[in-house]
Amino acid sequence: MAIADVKEYTHLTEEEVEQIGRELDAIRTEIEESRGAADAAYINRLIRIQRGLAAAGRVTLAVGTQSKKTRKPAWVAGAALLGLAKILENMEIGHNVMHGQWDWMNDPEIHSSNWEWDTAQPAEQWKHSHNYVHHQFTNVLGYDNDIGYGILRMAREQKWHPANIGQPVYNAMLATLFQWGVALHDLDIERIRKREKDPKEMKRQLRQILRKGRNQILKDYVVYPALSGRNWKATITANATANLARNLWSYVIIFCGHFPDGAMHFTEEELEDETRSEWYLRQILGAANFEGGPLLHILSGNLGFQIEHHLYPDLPSNRYAEIAVKVRALCDKYDIPYTVGPLHRQYGQALRTIIKLSLPNHMTSSDDPAPPQRSDTANEPSLDRRRKSDEERPPRRVELGAWTRSAGERSHD
Amino acid sequence: MDPAPLPFGERDPDPELGVPVPFACTTSYAEAARAAPSIRQLDHRRVTQCALSRVCGVCGSPLGRPIAFVGSPAEADRNAFHFPPCHLECAQALLDAVAPVDVAVLGQPETVDAWVLTTTAAFEYVRPSLEDADRRPTFEPYEVLTSTR
Ligand SMILES: [Zn+2]
Repeated sequence: MAIADVKEYTHLTEEEVEQIGRELDAIRTEIEESRGAADAAYINRLIRIQRGLAAAGRVTLAVGTQSKKTRKPAWVAGAALLGLAKILENMEIGHNVMHGQWDWMNDPEIHSSNWEWDTAQPAEQWKHSHNYVHHQFTNVLGYDNDIGYGILRMAREQKWHPANIGQPVYNAMLATLFQWGVALHDLDIERIRKREKDPKEMKRQLRQILRKGRNQILKDYVVYPALSGRNWKATITANATANLARNLWSYVIIFCGHFPDGAMHFTEEELEDETRSEWYLRQILGAANFEGGPLLHILSGNLGFQIEHHLYPDLPSNRYAEIAVKVRALCDKYDIPYTVGPLHRQYGQALRTIIKLSLPNHMTSSDDPAPPQRSDTANEPSLDRRRKSDEERPPRRVELGAWTRSAGERSHD
Repeated sequence: MDPAPLPFGERDPDPELGVPVPFACTTSYAEAARAAPSIRQLDHRRVTQCALSRVCGVCGSPLGRPIAFVGSPAEADRNAFHFPPCHLECAQALLDAVAPVDVAVLGQPETVDAWVLTTTAAFEYVRPSLEDADRRPTFEPYEVLTSTR
């Protein structure tokens, strides 16, 4: 839908939108004022654990594969430890440090300016493509390149092309090679094609990617295997397995953030003079959470609290769980859709969208979201909730996703 | 046009005032890109880009530590700056260059007689709210480390 229609869609008056903004500001202030030693201890401990896991994985592979008896279990344990370490480094540490979540500590190392992460994309390019392009233009078609990563059609508003039939295959390739897909993300082929990127900048970015990619390959496929002596092959396959596990995991988590039913896409209108409150509202409508225990949340960089992350990308991730309770209560109070579900269901819906949208719109049914029903308007004539065809719907009111409200939460069954 | 980062001294000068034009004042709009660069105004997309990509408002390359802010005494007193975060050296070079200029520059509403340079480890990027008379985002340094006027 057009950004200009968000207020109407949520049945909110301008004053209500501003009030919601003030309440969200208050949640932010509360966290900022209570941010301190306990939070610093959390990130320091997590980094120690992550480094311990990585070291244990590398040592297990180098030493354990030397004897024939321990070779197999050492390979499995080494790959698992290393995969876990890479997942923690990318998700809960790297992604969040680069958002500036820990800058307030004034730590020389744990700072958005200095952190370089264990993946192929250079930190500088990630901070542009993710922190700026994705977080500022969240789910705005034509701006946010995270919508399908330039290769998948993820919104019905995107024009169908015969090449989209291959989507299920492209999707599997993207998931498998995710770190390399992300590495090329900020090059933004579309901007190069439209000559919106200075050729000097393109070359600079390419050099950065080649240097970082080369270092990553050297580390995992040359240096550490060499340290394993004659069992270098086992180390190579274990390192490749760890990288693959990290790729699949981060792909699933990222696709659960904005593509389950209920997470909306927007068209550009009025992006320019959006107020803070309207921006907040767009973040809530454009993101989707998933449920799980504390370990699942840590392993996913607390991105199961995607809505909270989008509202406050620079607040420490270990606080998102408590923020979520307040944000959800606020959404209930104002009848704002708050998309949440178990991880498997959220990913299932994203996958269904990928498969559905490989076909032209007229061949698939649209998941038509009914606008939220305000309790104070519940007695008014009910809205037409019949599923409409694309032709029946006014072009500016088409969105992705379907949901019905039940007990303050959207259910997607 | 997405430009490559460029040190302050090597940037194109403002044809009217002769001062190199910092990254945050260059336009991000394709249609306006051919207009002469000016240090009078900030480009709001560039400002947001600096805030979120965490790049210097002067040279456009990734920020370091500490993070520097330049502004008027009023902005420093309110702890809310309009010019995006910078490298310390870039901020100093920028202030040296604009100090002798006696027109309003860098998005300021009027000429600034005594610029302030503030350093911090972290900042908050504050989007404008409906009641703000000045509908531009601001930067609030978290814990001022140093402030020189
Ligand atoms: Zn600089």
